[in-house]
Amino acid sequence: MRVLLHTGKGGVGKTTMALASAFGAAEHGHRVFVLSTDAAHSIGDALGTSLGSAPRQVGERVTVQELSVLDELDDAWAVLQDWINVFLRGERQEDGEEELVAEELLAFPGLEELIALRAIRKVESGGEHDVCVVDCAPTGATLRLLRFPDVVKFFMENVFDWKRRSMRAIRPVARRVGADRFLPSEEVFDAFERLYEDVADVRQILLDGDRTSARLVVNPARVVVDETRRSFAYLSLYGVATDAVLVNRVLPADAASGYFARWAERERQELGEIERSFPVPRLELPLQRAEPIGPAALTRLARELFGERDPADFFSRSRPIRLRKDARRTVLEIDLPNISADDVDVVTAGRDLVVRVEDAQRLISLPDSVLGRRLEHVQLRGGVLEVTFAP
Amino acid sequence: MRLVLYTGKGGVGKTTTAAATAVCAAERGVRTLVVSSDMAHSLGDVLDRELSSEPSPLGPNLDAMEIDPRAEIDRHYGTIREYLVELFRYQGIDEVVADELALFPGAEEVTALLAVEEAARSGRYDFVVVDCAPTGSTLRLITLPEMLTGVLRIVPALARMLSTVVSPIAQAVVRAPIPRTAVFREAQRLIDQSAVQLRERLSLPETSVRIVATPERMVIDEARRCYMELSLFDLRCDAVVMNRLLPESAGREDFFQDRWTTQGERRRELEELFAPVCVVDAPLQRDEVVGLELLAAHGREIFANREPQALLSESPRIRFTRKAGGHCVHLPLPGATATDLEVAVVEDDLIVRAGSRRRAIPLPPRIARLPLESARLEAGTLVVSFRRSAAKGGA
Repeated sequence: MRVLLHTGKGGVGKTTMALASAFGAAEHGHRVFVLSTDAAHSIGDALGTSLGSAPRQVGERVTVQELSVLDELDDAWAVLQDWINVFLRGERQEDGEEELVAEELLAFPGLEELIALRAIRKVESGGEHDVCVVDCAPTGATLRLLRFPDVVKFFMENVFDWKRRSMRAIRPVARRVGADRFLPSEEVFDAFERLYEDVADVRQILLDGDRTSARLVVNPARVVVDETRRSFAYLSLYGVATDAVLVNRVLPADAASGYFARWAERERQELGEIERSFPVPRLELPLQRAEPIGPAALTRLARELFGERDPADFFSRSRPIRLRKDARRTVLEIDLPNISADDVDVVTAGRDLVVRVEDAQRLISLPDSVLGRRLEHVQLRGGVLEVTFAP
Repeated sequence: MRLVLYTGKGGVGKTTTAAATAVCAAERGVRTLVVSSDMAHSLGDVLDRELSSEPSPLGPNLDAMEIDPRAEIDRHYGTIREYLVELFRYQGIDEVVADELALFPGAEEVTALLAVEEAARSGRYDFVVVDCAPTGSTLRLITLPEMLTGVLRIVPALARMLSTVVSPIAQAVVRAPIPRTAVFREAQRLIDQSAVQLRERLSLPETSVRIVATPERMVIDEARRCYMELSLFDLRCDAVVMNRLLPESAGREDFFQDRWTTQGERRRELEELFAPVCVVDAPLQRDEVVGLELLAAHGREIFANREPQALLSESPRIRFTRKAGGHCVHLPLPGATATDLEVAVVEDDLIVRAGSRRRAIPLPPRIARLPLESARLEAGTLVVSFRRSAAKGGA
């Protein structure tokens, strides 16, 4: 299954672009699933219809879903919820607390990300779709989403097994003093394990450059371009390749004069800036005379944006993180365009390489071939971070 | 102290509108502070000044700040956060990851409102303008008290599990850091201070929300949902700002004919949806509105004869009425449809679910004891009737 992630700053037209890509891909014969993971959904608005939280077919070969975290939670983690409630019940006699409601579970950091990842997994395992178009939340949230599998993986590999074993050791003792109801049951551990497997599977999908790519949606406006430049590097750091930049709402020539002359001039500068900033193909879509709402308008938009091309194609191929042999040395390369060397920090930590870029951080598991090798040299050259390991 | 929160879909111009409001009010002699709670921080760009997490003076009567949620949480709730970081780190999670996990959802909004509390206590301002993160997060803001209660119930429960159960029995096996009583005291303080105080601040008559919209279908759809949710949580909305309206000279250009026509329709639609809340027009300028001078001019155009800090109109609020044979609760839910709604009474609360949001509304005891008779939607208001129980016979 091909996965197309659409992200960008708020209000640039992510949803419209995601849907246009979906209708366009369907015209090329793909069976497409569009998944919105942004809590402030707007797929229904762009289609001019109101959707529930269940998947719904909205055109030939196009199914859409606005993911409801609350509904998914009820569906997926009854076991976890039960366990937490059992624990709270122990307290309830004292302070009269009621059951934990799903809304309160949302307070768990990472839960929303988890649910979004699980939804992608569900589309894949359903086997009924060739293309999954994801309408992501604005960039910050999308990066949290991509980073989440790292955190889970780390937790499961370093803590989980050990904890499960110790729980088995404690349980008989706890039972004797009547405290075993406070301990998570085996089912809870099983639920965690299934969850982990789901997340690990999605991680595989998202990091597979033959299946997944990101599309950054931008407008030719300074604040938008500034923010998106950083996003490009962050996506790359998480191992996701951006295969195209979709430039939305470009003032067409016949609108670029009169009242809009000054705006058009600013746009020209920003279009140049976009060209310099993103080393991938750019597809431009002019501002429309009327808002493109509904399947017909969105299909027309796809033709205007992609022409004869299939939106599900890869518009460029790259592996943002790769290994290279240089004489007897091994060099790990990461594409980090538009980032200044002062903002990058690299250290090794056990089996992992920790790369920090401004506020984003990634743990990259090192291949066996470089394990234990000394980190010889780190430099940022021509938008590529090169980490050299001693022979 | 007057407090206005600006919200709206991403990219509609919240920051520019908030900044123009503040600059305009300051110019008219109102002591004003403008605060950004958006991590993406574009307030500094719009004002064309370097801002920090302390108020910086920009001119007579005008201060501005950009909040750093991480630093603010450390300042207010250091003990809890340190404990969480310690706990995660002990579990093998790297410090920076732990740091992020300990930054709970909604943290941006909590810290913004705490900064507002501080500004209120300082007595230095008559008017505070908050530039909120886009709608998705603003929805979090209005459900913050519930959210915080959730965090607080889960965290101490998990911590207690480790300390009261695991550690005495098997301290040798599981050596998790034991939370000190200070953590629980601070958790209690967090509940008291944040949830209660913030709820109070949001329900003060001097507090209101303004929604920023543009004359576009998708933006208006989202504004409508936002308004319904604000009503569900009983927050005042005193104005909706219709931003980027094409001026007539722009609307006469050929390319913009269609947009010029639909703009008029959209504006009327917005007025109907939001009535009696007023719609304030903000024009699309010939160029980017950046810097104090342009913001002041933009602000004068938006507010004209109005006072930027005034409560520009009253939105309908929840009411309790008596009727023959019972009581009614009137909850305005503009734009809601009957299929969006679920109503139930649980103990002393009226539970209303509208779309993806659920709220528990505490009922006055005399009403809560009565049987629920009916719930219907009348012209955008949910009317829930309770029958007065027969005086005799009942238990």
